[in-house]
Amino acid sequence: MSLTARGVTIHFGGLVAVDGMDLDAIPPEIIGLIGPNGAGKTTFLNCLSGIYRPTNGSVLWNGEELVGQAPHVLLARGIARTFQNITSLHDLSVLDVVKLGSNMRGDVDFADRLRNLFRSEKALDEELTEMFLKPLRLADVAHQPIQTLSYGHRKAVDLARALAAHPLLLLLDEPVAGLTSQEGMAMAAVIRTVRDHFGCAVVMVEHKMDVVMDTCERIVVMAAGAKIFAGSPSEVQSSAEVRRVYLGEPS
Amino acid sequence: MTYALQLAVAGIAVGSVYALIALGIVLIYKCSGVVNFAQGAYAMVGAYVTYFLITIGLSPVIGVLVSMGIMAGLGALTERAILRPMLKAPVVAVMMVTLGLLIVSQAICLAIWGPDQIAFPALFPSGSVEIAGIFMTYNYVATGLLSALLSLGFLAFYRYTSIGLAQRCAADNSRAALAIGIHVSNQVSLAWAMSATLAGLGGTLLATLNGLSLGLADIGLVAFPVIVLGGLSSLGGAFIAGLVLGVLQSFTDGWLTPILEDFLRAHTSIYSVGALQQVVPYALLVLMLLVRPEGLFGRRGTERV
Amino acid sequence: MKSRHLLLAVAAALFMIAVSLLVGRFEAYMIGAVAVASIGALALNLLIGACGQISLAQGALLGVGAYAAGNFGNAGWDLLALPAAGVTAALTSVLIGLPALRLRGLYFAIASLAAQTILEYLFKTVEPLTKGISGLVIKPMTLLGTPLVTDQAYAALSVVTLLITWLFMVWVMRTNLGRAFLVVRESEIVARGMGIDVARTKLWAFVASGFFVGIAGALMGFTTRLANPEAFGLPLSVDYVAMIIVGGIGSWGGSIIGAAFVVLLPELIQRLGEFLNVPNVLSAMRELAFGLLIILFLIFEPRGLAALLRRLRPVAIATAAALLGRKQSWKPQSASRRRV
Repeated sequence: MSLTARGVTIHFGGLVAVDGMDLDAIPPEIIGLIGPNGAGKTTFLNCLSGIYRPTNGSVLWNGEELVGQAPHVLLARGIARTFQNITSLHDLSVLDVVKLGSNMRGDVDFADRLRNLFRSEKALDEELTEMFLKPLRLADVAHQPIQTLSYGHRKAVDLARALAAHPLLLLLDEPVAGLTSQEGMAMAAVIRTVRDHFGCAVVMVEHKMDVVMDTCERIVVMAAGAKIFAGSPSEVQSSAEVRRVYLGEPS
Repeated sequence: MTYALQLAVAGIAVGSVYALIALGIVLIYKCSGVVNFAQGAYAMVGAYVTYFLITIGLSPVIGVLVSMGIMAGLGALTERAILRPMLKAPVVAVMMVTLGLLIVSQAICLAIWGPDQIAFPALFPSGSVEIAGIFMTYNYVATGLLSALLSLGFLAFYRYTSIGLAQRCAADNSRAALAIGIHVSNQVSLAWAMSATLAGLGGTLLATLNGLSLGLADIGLVAFPVIVLGGLSSLGGAFIAGLVLGVLQSFTDGWLTPILEDFLRAHTSIYSVGALQQVVPYALLVLMLLVRPEGLFGRRGTERV
Repeated sequence: MKSRHLLLAVAAALFMIAVSLLVGRFEAYMIGAVAVASIGALALNLLIGACGQISLAQGALLGVGAYAAGNFGNAGWDLLALPAAGVTAALTSVLIGLPALRLRGLYFAIASLAAQTILEYLFKTVEPLTKGISGLVIKPMTLLGTPLVTDQAYAALSVVTLLITWLFMVWVMRTNLGRAFLVVRESEIVARGMGIDVARTKLWAFVASGFFVGIAGALMGFTTRLANPEAFGLPLSVDYVAMIIVGGIGSWGGSIIGAAFVVLLPELIQRLGEFLNVPNVLSAMRELAFGLLIILFLIFEPRGLAALLRRLRPVAIATAAALLGRKQSWKPQSASRRRV
């Protein structure tokens, strides 16, 4: 169970957004992907999650090539991602959104599906609430439309949706952006709990350094579309190269 | 051979009118992001307005010029009164509003002038001319030439003048255009005004060929295969595609239909293929969507997540 | 969707069935017309609700249903002619949607316009099946051997079919497919990113919507005993778009209200014209009214009559209470529910 991305490159017209990126992820590690604005982090994430098709390179998941596959195929193989912008989805409730996620699981066999057909809606709801909403503190808003929730709550719902698909690899796109530092710390704790509980690998794109340093075991630094450094949080903090990229100090 | 040339020339004449109408749709699409289902209505209204002005005594030339002014005003008015309030609305809704406009225009023309076809006053001398064995009425020649000139003139204006440049900037990236001082909303109104004027002229010219009736609005519908063929955001593409489709229709009517009907009558009980030339553009549209949706001259866009 | 609402719907349907069997020919015909239009409107609502784009091919698809039903019915298929017509229209609907499946929704509107034109042409040309311009004569539908001949019978049948259609629509939206519909309509990109198979979701929307449009067309054909190309042109497609806009996109009840509105408005204008003695301006009036309604609703109340009525409900209830002399100290339900 491992992700191996090699030489991932994507062009938009004349712009090279990602240039020969490599990444390895093996469950259950938490990897942080950081870099200055415009470094191509989200674009790279989009390449990994099937939203963009890279111009070059390969992304292997358990030896199978993922490039060119649509997100729903990736989801069936165990790769889920969250988004930065959570649009309000009409009057879908929190549970509805989570059910969308759980219906895309790749690890449900036929016997399970048959069994699920005979269970009542209420029983399914309760199970989903117990497994995914409680840890994220969303249990009491389970039936509320997500339109009425705060941004922080909506992000939590998005995370729940991704988790409900029982992923083996979780790709998080700026999970604490827009949250207060208290909410951010809470979210970081949740991510760790999730990893401990489900055993998935997590790759998270993030800007908030305190969260990244605290949560991630390994950090990859991107700039101008390429990887410029990889290492443990302390190594990254003491690297002159990284400081130059972020602060513009002469190397 | 002369027959083929005859068909081609007739096709180019009609195709130029298609191009004129299609240019307007592409122009509006480029700056408002909306496909204007009411373009045909502008053509129809333009023709009726010209007719009205001529019948109250204005000379044809003055009548056409005044009608152009009126259409420009109507275009700008439509944009302000109906498009502005809907800036935040989804594009679907705006397109349906243009559909509503089409219906309203047809209803008003129906109420004022009735459902029957009206003979349009002659704008060009009657009679025909023969060049290299090809017969063309002056009407056809004038329509084709004028439409082609207007279209090319417009393309030149768009490309080479400073207003044209402002238009292109506003259409390409309205926020950036605003930032450099272009009055974007004025440019958008201008685009609608120009579209309506071009359409009105096209409608007037078409009326000289086929008479004045509510059916003139149908040309707005034929414009869609044109813009899909040419590329939704390409003005030059719309021009060329208009000509191509005009010629295609002409050849279908004059050459393909007889052959097909002979074949069908010999082998099946189907007697006639009806108005095949009216359907051929749409069949081509479907083909383009399957094979090359961005059209011959359009560009593939990418969207950011 | 509470079971309370379901019971209400079934009760309303039973009531309408009884009414249709008891009233005169003209009233029955009107009830049937509104019911059939409602079925088509619900189907179009499903499509727009799922793909977020207008289809201008309703008219032609209804025609496909009518011609199919005519052919199947004349060949003796009895009641099966209805679902058979539905399947035919569903297949046609998929064909229409295929070219634009992976393209932006805008292209779907244009593709539907092309389909409408091409199908109209085929109705006129493929004479072995459609009898061309003169139209296809449709024998009365047989129900397990007995032919249905009265307007009342068709009205009742249409109401039953409407109930089934409505129940289906409500059920679908509660399934995962229904949820996927909503997300796809909101944003295809978000849907794709969430792992929804957008192409497959849209295809199901085409199938379901096409099926019910086909059945509506079939009922139209059986009621009028004739299917001819003139009746299934672009103006009919626009009528249905008007129904959805006036009724409110995304609201099932709204579709029925919109359908009733569009079907009954011409009658109203007709009566008004006869009353005021201005018969000629009539057809123009109808079109003008439609166009204006579409524009006004889209600008000011895009969620249609359904939303408008919902907003007016507290006012209406308060007025009714005042008129009846009762003291009103109770807060309207809708307001408190919204404050969840």
